[in-house]
Amino acid sequence: MLFGRNQKNPITITDKQVVKWTYSTCGYCSTGCAIEIGSNADGKPVASRGVGGADVNRGKLCVKGIFEHEVFEAQGRGEIPLLRGAAQQSFDAVGWDQAFDKMAAEIARIQAQYGRDAFAIVSTGQILTEEFYTLGKLARGVIGTNNYDGNTTLCMASAVSGYKRSFGSDGPPGCYEDFEHTDCLMAWGSNLPEQHPIIYWRMKEAQEKRGFPLIVVDPRVTMLAQNADIHLPITPGTDLVLQNALIHVILAEGLEDKAYIEANTNGFEAMAVEVAKYDPTNAAKICGIDEDTIRTVARLYAKAERAMSIWTMGINQSTHGSDGVVGINNLNLVTGNIGKPGGTSLSITGQCNAMGTREWSSCSGLPGYRALEKAEDREEIGKFWGVDPEFFPKQRGLTETDIFPAIETGQIKGLWLVATNPMTSMPNTARIRKAFEKLEFLVVQDSFADVETMEYAHLFLPAAIWAEKEGTFTNTERRVNITRPIKQAFGQSQSDLWIFNQLAKRFDQGRRIEFPEQPEQVFEEMKFLSKGRLMDVSGMNYALIEANRGIQWPYTEQHVEHGERPKAGGVRLYTEPRTFRHPDGKAKLIALPFIDNNEVPDEQFPFWLNTGRLVEQFHTRTRTGKIGNNNKFSPTAFMEINPDAAIELGIKHQSYVRVVSRRGDAVVMAMLTQRVPKNMVFVPFHFFDCVNRLTLGLLDPYSRQPAFKQAAVRIEATDQVAAARLNKESRGY
Amino acid sequence: MFEVRSDEPDYAFLQDRETQTKNRYGKDIDLAATGDALHEQSLNINHDEAIGDNPNRYKQHGFFFTADNCIGCHACESACSEKNDNPAHIAFRSVGYVEGGTYPDYQRINISMACNHCDDPVCLKGCPTRAYTKFAEYGAVLQDPEICFGCGYCTWVCPYNAPQLDPVKGQVSKCNMCVDRLEVGLKPSCVSACLGKALDFGVIENIPENRVQAKTEIPGFPTVDITHPNIRFQQTRTTHREMTRTDSVPVKYHRDDQAGLFKPVVDKKDGEAKQWNLRKLLTSHESAHVIFTLCTQATVGAFLLMLLGPWLGLPQLALVKQAPVFLPLLATIAVLCTLGLYKLNMHLGKPHRFYRGFNNLRLSPVSREIAGVSLFYTGLLGYSVLAAIDTGFTDFIAGMFALLSLIGGPVGLFYMYKLYRIPARPFWDHKQTGTAFVGAALSLGSLILGAVAIAALPLDAEGMQPLLQTLASTMLVGFLLEGIGHLLHARDMQASEDEGAASYYRQTTQFGKSFQLRNALLAVAIVLAASIMLAGLSGVLGMLAGLLLALATLISSVFGRSLFFVLVIPTTMPGAFFWKNPGFVEHARETGLADAPQHGIVYERHHAFKVDELVQTVKETSLADMIEHAKSILGK
Repeated sequence: MLFGRNQKNPITITDKQVVKWTYSTCGYCSTGCAIEIGSNADGKPVASRGVGGADVNRGKLCVKGIFEHEVFEAQGRGEIPLLRGAAQQSFDAVGWDQAFDKMAAEIARIQAQYGRDAFAIVSTGQILTEEFYTLGKLARGVIGTNNYDGNTTLCMASAVSGYKRSFGSDGPPGCYEDFEHTDCLMAWGSNLPEQHPIIYWRMKEAQEKRGFPLIVVDPRVTMLAQNADIHLPITPGTDLVLQNALIHVILAEGLEDKAYIEANTNGFEAMAVEVAKYDPTNAAKICGIDEDTIRTVARLYAKAERAMSIWTMGINQSTHGSDGVVGINNLNLVTGNIGKPGGTSLSITGQCNAMGTREWSSCSGLPGYRALEKAEDREEIGKFWGVDPEFFPKQRGLTETDIFPAIETGQIKGLWLVATNPMTSMPNTARIRKAFEKLEFLVVQDSFADVETMEYAHLFLPAAIWAEKEGTFTNTERRVNITRPIKQAFGQSQSDLWIFNQLAKRFDQGRRIEFPEQPEQVFEEMKFLSKGRLMDVSGMNYALIEANRGIQWPYTEQHVEHGERPKAGGVRLYTEPRTFRHPDGKAKLIALPFIDNNEVPDEQFPFWLNTGRLVEQFHTRTRTGKIGNNNKFSPTAFMEINPDAAIELGIKHQSYVRVVSRRGDAVVMAMLTQRVPKNMVFVPFHFFDCVNRLTLGLLDPYSRQPAFKQAAVRIEATDQVAAARLNKESRGY
Repeated sequence: MFEVRSDEPDYAFLQDRETQTKNRYGKDIDLAATGDALHEQSLNINHDEAIGDNPNRYKQHGFFFTADNCIGCHACESACSEKNDNPAHIAFRSVGYVEGGTYPDYQRINISMACNHCDDPVCLKGCPTRAYTKFAEYGAVLQDPEICFGCGYCTWVCPYNAPQLDPVKGQVSKCNMCVDRLEVGLKPSCVSACLGKALDFGVIENIPENRVQAKTEIPGFPTVDITHPNIRFQQTRTTHREMTRTDSVPVKYHRDDQAGLFKPVVDKKDGEAKQWNLRKLLTSHESAHVIFTLCTQATVGAFLLMLLGPWLGLPQLALVKQAPVFLPLLATIAVLCTLGLYKLNMHLGKPHRFYRGFNNLRLSPVSREIAGVSLFYTGLLGYSVLAAIDTGFTDFIAGMFALLSLIGGPVGLFYMYKLYRIPARPFWDHKQTGTAFVGAALSLGSLILGAVAIAALPLDAEGMQPLLQTLASTMLVGFLLEGIGHLLHARDMQASEDEGAASYYRQTTQFGKSFQLRNALLAVAIVLAASIMLAGLSGVLGMLAGLLLALATLISSVFGRSLFFVLVIPTTMPGAFFWKNPGFVEHARETGLADAPQHGIVYERHHAFKVDELVQTVKETSLADMIEHAKSILGK
C-alpha cells in the first residue's frame, strides 16, 4: 500500500547538522539533569538532548531543558558593561577596567563612610560552585561585608535551617533512588509534575514497578494531588498542625520506632508533650483535614516498612517553614525513616545550584558548611585563605530578606546583585522599589541587561551564561555534576569567576590573597577544604565527574585509595547509627508549637492568595520568557479562581480582573477552574509587576524565608481594554 | 541514518515482538506482503539512500496514549518542536485538556495529540496538490511542504488538528512520525521524551507493557468513524459525568452511561445575549471564501440562466442575449468571476503555485472544484471574446466555449458543495450547504441579469416586464430553496449531538443579531420577489421595490455566507488555556500580544504572488515533465 502518489518523493526531515555535542548540566532547576548541547559547524548551539547514561535523568529532559540551547542568544543578553551616575540618567557603555575601578571605588567609599557592612551583596543559586566559592572568598575575605546572602533565602532557607536544627547540618540525606525502595511516599507542598518533572518521572517509574501509596498535601488539586492515593487539601499555613497530629496518632497507637528513637535522637519527651496537644479531632478543625483521614495517613506512614517525605515551597515558603521541615524530620525520626533506602526527608531543591551556594558560597557562614560562629572554622579558613581570622564576623549577618529592610532604614547604602532579580522575585514589590530608590550604588551583574532590576542600577556587569562557562553544580541529591563550555561568552560578557577575580585585584587584600583563574584550580581548593567533612568531595575531579555523569557526595580520597568507584546513585547520609552532625551524633526531636500569624482571609480580603510555579517558566522568566517554545504555554499572567466564586463576582473565564491586597494590586487573566477551593486564588509567581505586588512575605523566624503562599486578597472587576493594555505593557518578555 | 547513541536508554527503542494481523477496522496491519515491490525501497530521507532494518517496517504503527497518566508537562510537544525546529507558533503535537468535578474532587485529563496516520487519511484525499503520501513504511502519512500551496483544506478535514497551516510561511507541515528514528528502531521523539509514562508508540493494536486497554474513545476525542485513526488509549480512572473544555469552544463532553462514551454537547460559555459581532463576521480571514463562493455561484447562475433559460421554458430570458444587454452582461459576469477567482487564489499561502490545484483530480473535491470552475471561466472568457467579435465563422467556436462553461459551471458548483461536506465540520456537513449554493446561484444569477437589463434598457421596453417578472420568479425559487435549507439546518443543528449544536448556539447568541438580520432580509426578499413576480416592476414604487430587493439579496447573501464560514466549529481536540485556545489567539491578535514572537501567536496574513518563482518553475520544467505530470494526474 502506497497511497497518494505514484512514485516516492524524497522525505525531508529537519537535520540540524550537529557536528559536536558538549556535556553539560542543566542550568534551570536543582534536579541536575545531564544535558548535551549540539552545535553546528559554525559553533552555534542548535540542539539539546538528555544524556542517556546519566543516572539522574536517563536521557530525559523537561520542556525547559529541551530548548536550553536557545538561552545563549536569547533576547536581552548583556553585551557590555554599562554605567550611569543616577537611576534617572541613561547608561553609557564602558570598558571592564572602568567598571571595576568605579565599583571598587564605590565599595571603598560606602564602607569608609558608613561602615563595612553598609555595602551588601545578594547572590543567587544560578552560578557555578567554583564561582560561589570565589565570591565567598571575595565577600568574606576581601570586601569584608557581613551583609552577604543568596536568593536561596527565598526558596531553600527553611530546608537548610530545618536540616541544621534536626540533624546538626544542612545536606539532604536522601536521593532519587529512594523512590525505588519506599513503601510510602508523602509529598508536602511539592508539585513534582510542574516543578521537577524529571524527578516526577523517576518517581512514576518506581511507582509503576512497585505500586507504593502516594500521599499529597496541597491546597490545590495539582496533577500530583489528582494522581495521589490520598490527597490532603490542607488549609494554607497549617502544616505544623497536621504534622503534630500525625505524630500524635503514631505515639498514641504505639507505632513509633522506639529503638531508633532511643539510639538516634534527643528531645523525644518535650516533643511528645507538645504533640499530645494535637489530637486529630481538634487538629482537623484547624488544618481542614478530617480526623479519620489524619489517622489513616498516620497509620499508613508509620506502618510502612520504609516511608519517605519530599517537600518543596509549600513547606519552605511559610512563616513556620523551618518548623515545617523540622516537623517532617520529626515524623521520619519517630518512624525510623532516615538514612535507609526508601526512608528519608528529601527536600526537593529549587535552583540548579542552590545546593552549591549552600555548601560553598559562605553566605550563611564559611565554605564547606562551616559556621562563622565557630572559632575553629574561622581560624581554619582564615589560615587557608591568608586572611586574619579576626577579619571575619563572629556571627552571620543579614539575610536577603533583612537586607532590603536595612536599606529602607538607611543601614545599607550599596548593593551588588549577582544573577538575581528581586524586583520580580521578592514579596511586596512596592516596598522593594522604595528600598532600591534609596541606594547610593547598585551593581547588577547578570547575563541579561533587560532584567527588571536594571531600572535602579548604576552599574551593569554583563555575565556569561551557564555553558559559556566551566564548573560544577550540586543537585538535590548532592550530586556534583559538570558543565563544559560550549561557546565563547556573548558579546563582551565574562564569566562570573573572571569578574570576581578581577574585582578582587582592585583591593589591596585581594591582591595578597590567591584567586585561582581556572575553575578546576578553584575546585582543588574546595576539595582540600571538604576533606573529612560531611560534604567531602576530595575524591572527585572534573574528568571523573564527567565520566560518571555526576558524582554524589560524599566521595572522598579514601574512596579513591580503596579503589571504590563512584556509585551510579543511591548514596545517602546518616546511614550508620548516631552519625548526625550534632556533637553527640544524635538528631534532635523538637517540640513545635503552632502559632497562627498568617494574614488570613477576612471580609475585606476574602480570598487566600496562593502562588507557585509553572513547568514551562523558570523564576522571573529572564530566560524562559524569551524562548517562544517555553513561553507560549503561559505568555501572560493568569489566576486560577473557582467558578463558583467567579460567578458570584460576575467574573468571566479568560477576562482580566484586578486582584487587590493590603500591599497593592495586580491585573491578571482569570482562569475558572475547580482546581482551587472557593476561597482561594492561585497566581504563578513568574511574572513581573504581578503577584509579588500583592504578597506580604512575613518571615520565618529561623530561616528568614518569606511566606509567599499565605496572604489575603480581594478580586475586582476591571475595564477590559485598559487591563489588556496594561497587561501587554508589563510583558516586555 | 539517524544516530543511535551508545547510551540510548531502553525506553527509546521500539518493543514490538509480536504483532496482530488485522486492526479493529478489519484492515491488514501488514501494509505490503513479503515480496511486494514496495519492499526494500529507501525512504530517501534527506537523500540518504539507506534502507532501515526495522523488522516491522511495513506494518501500520500508531501512538498509544495512557490518558490517566498525562501530567501536561509539554515534554512531548517540545521534543517534537526541538527535533523539527518548529517556531513557537507551530506544533505538530499539542497538549490540551478537559476537566470535571468540584474541588477537591476535581479531575483534569490532559490529552496529547499529533497525527494519527489514519487508515483513511482525509487530509490526503482532500489535498488538491497531492502533497500527502501514505507510505507502506510504518503506514506513515507524510506531507511535503514543498508541494503544498497553502490552501489549508487538510486543516479543515482533519478531525484532530494534525496538519498545521503556518501563516508566516504560507504552507502546511505536520507530524512525520519520526520515520528517521523508526528506521533505526527508535520510538518517535515525543514518545521518548514523555515524563508521565503516558505516550507510547508501536505496531497498531499492540498494548504496551503494564497497560491493559486499547480503546479508541476518551472525552474530547472525536469519533473514529471519520478516518479510522491509528491511535489507542488507556483510560481506566473513573471520570466525572461531565468534562468541560478550558478553551473558548462552546463544547463540553457528557458521558452516555449506556454506551460508556462521551458525547459532545453545547457549553453555553458566553451566555444567551444576542450580539452583532460585525467586525468578526465580515473581516475574518475566510472572507476570501465568502467572495469566491458567492461570485462563482452568481456568475455560474447568471451564465446558465442566460444560455439555458429559453431552452428551459423561460423564453422571456432571451432578451438578455440581445443588444444592448448582452455584451454588458457578459462583461459583468466575467468581471465578477475574475474577482472571485482572484480572491481565492490570493488567499493561498503560495498563490504562485496555483497550477498545483489540479494535481489531485483523482481524489480531491477541491481539485475537481478548481477544475470545474476553471473550465467555466475559460469557456466564459472565450465565449465573451467571440461574442464581441460576432462573425458567422466564430459562432461554432463560441458554441464550443459555451459548452465548456455549461459543463464546467455545474461540475464546479457540485464539487464546491462536496468539498464542504466535511464530517469533521458538522455545521457544514448538511444538505443546506447545497441548497444555499444553488439558491445563491439562482437568486444572485437572476439579480445580475435583472440589474444589467435595467441598466441597459428602459423599464417599458418591450419584453422588459416579462423578463423582470421571470427573473423575480427564479429569484424566488432560489430564496425559497435557501430558506427551506436554513430551516432544516436549524432544526438538525439544534438537535445534533456534536459541534454543529455548538455552532448553532453561537449563531443565535454571539452572532444572534446578524443571524436575525439575515433571516429578516431573506423574508423581505421573498415577499418582494413574489410581489414583483406577480405585479411587475414599474413606477417609483416598483423601482424602490427592485432596489430594496437587490439590497436585501446582497446583504443577506453576504451575511449568510459569512455566518457559514465564521460559525463552523471543527471536531478538533480540546485546547489549553492559552495554547491552542482560539479565544486567546483572537485576544492576542486584537490586543497586540501577538506582536512578540515568544507568545507563540502570529497574525493571519496574505502572501505575495511570486512571479519569479513561477517563471523559474516554468523554465526548469521540460515539456516532457509537464506531459508526465499531466499523465500522473489523470492516470494511476
